[in-house]
Amino acid sequence: MNGRFKTIFHIDADAFFASVEQGFNPLLRGKPVIVGGKPDQRGVVHTASYEARARGICTGMPLVKAKALCPQAVFLKGDYEHYRAVSQIFQEIYLRFTPKVEFTSLDDAYLDLTGALHLYPSAEWVGRAIMREVEKRTGVSISVGIGSGKAIARIASSLKKPRGLVRVPPGKERAFLADLPVDVLPGIGRMAKERLTDLHIFKVGELAALPRLIPEQLFGKNGKTLWELANGIDPREVKRRTIPRQISRETSFEEDTADMRLIKGTLQYLTERIAKKLREQELTCRTLAVKIRYSDFRRHARSQSLDAPSNDAGQLFRQAEAIFDALRLRRVRIRHVGVAASHIEPARYQQFLFKESLRQESLNSAVDEIRRRFGFMALLPADTLELRCKYRMDRHGYILHNPALTR
Amino acid sequence: MTFEDIFEPIEVISHFRDGQLKPLRFKWNGRVYKIKQLNGHWVSHQGYNKQHHYSVISDSSDYFELQFDSSDFQWQVARVCLDG
Repeated sequence: MNGRFKTIFHIDADAFFASVEQGFNPLLRGKPVIVGGKPDQRGVVHTASYEARARGICTGMPLVKAKALCPQAVFLKGDYEHYRAVSQIFQEIYLRFTPKVEFTSLDDAYLDLTGALHLYPSAEWVGRAIMREVEKRTGVSISVGIGSGKAIARIASSLKKPRGLVRVPPGKERAFLADLPVDVLPGIGRMAKERLTDLHIFKVGELAALPRLIPEQLFGKNGKTLWELANGIDPREVKRRTIPRQISRETSFEEDTADMRLIKGTLQYLTERIAKKLREQELTCRTLAVKIRYSDFRRHARSQSLDAPSNDAGQLFRQAEAIFDALRLRRVRIRHVGVAASHIEPARYQQFLFKESLRQESLNSAVDEIRRRFGFMALLPADTLELRCKYRMDRHGYILHNPALTR
Repeated sequence: MTFEDIFEPIEVISHFRDGQLKPLRFKWNGRVYKIKQLNGHWVSHQGYNKQHHYSVISDSSDYFELQFDSSDFQWQVARVCLDG
């Protein structure tokens, strides 16, 4: 092992939700499976199995179009609790190989094996062992990328899906990246790609060969990072706990609605879920955003900063309601609402000057404890009970229109 | 092929061993189904309680998802797969 280089793994499940469904149900194996909802419902494809992808189905495609393209596909609405349980099994397996694991979502994670690699024959051996164990226990196939940094590992894991294992040897990062298109680099979206195309820069190697000043002038402070990534330089550490940039919850209504009690009840329910997530992770947010989509597909979004960082559901909902009232200017039915918390930071506990804040914090702690014991639906704000007329509920929460997307 | 949510209580004969629970047969709508194949098992948490989910194939080659709630020791048929 070369001491100068880190050994980072990026592990990504292949078509995760569809793979879980196929892994636990042999009748679905080999069939095109689409997770997102029933074809007669409104909504989009959340995940398509490789069999469905071969027939032209892709993530984000409307379900109606997917049905037209692939009428024989099996459409499933998805089960977030099942996917979370499978993700827990992934976590158990990864943590057996190294304690330094960063879980970035249900189905992908970074593992830092730099300090643990001497325990195993090779990095590839570890990769194959993890792939075998995951497939044996869950039936889900994964792809593994191994490199000296997080970006290299992530790019490598995406190159040979499904069931791929790609290792970039230390010191060969530049050569590995040179012939790949520029948009494989994290941070290069459609706009950035267009700007690079204008300069006749199509491959990562061409970006890497530029003097560092040019990307800096093009993309500001991100330009330096992009240039470094193009040259295989990625000093980012694998962190066991990461603070998310944003926590959002959103849903579409079964049918477009102008019923303000239903819309605000849904906003309150989504805000309640965000507040729960923030408190679970001991975080607060400084900014709240609300987005709505009308029946004519026009969308509006607005965000507002809070007076002070908060994870109190009542306070967050008051802010969300104020934003919604200011945002909703058209007399058109609404099809989709969402709430997002951003500028997230660790909660700081300090002595309060006023008793009211202390009381609120005690109340939140009591609510959290009751939910820990009896489940989320044990306590709900009264206004959200309006949703009972529209949605079925289980003890995890309301079963919203697109449950796989809305947690 | 479509899936239907059922969530109806059932009677189950199961096997406990080494802390593991394995359903063997269940009775639903007056009919007894023998479990031919256990495809997988996962656990979801509901507060302090656990719900055990079993994906099974019956002797009639039908797919079922069975659910065992550790809070009240009740079994349910959660989902079935309707072929066609």
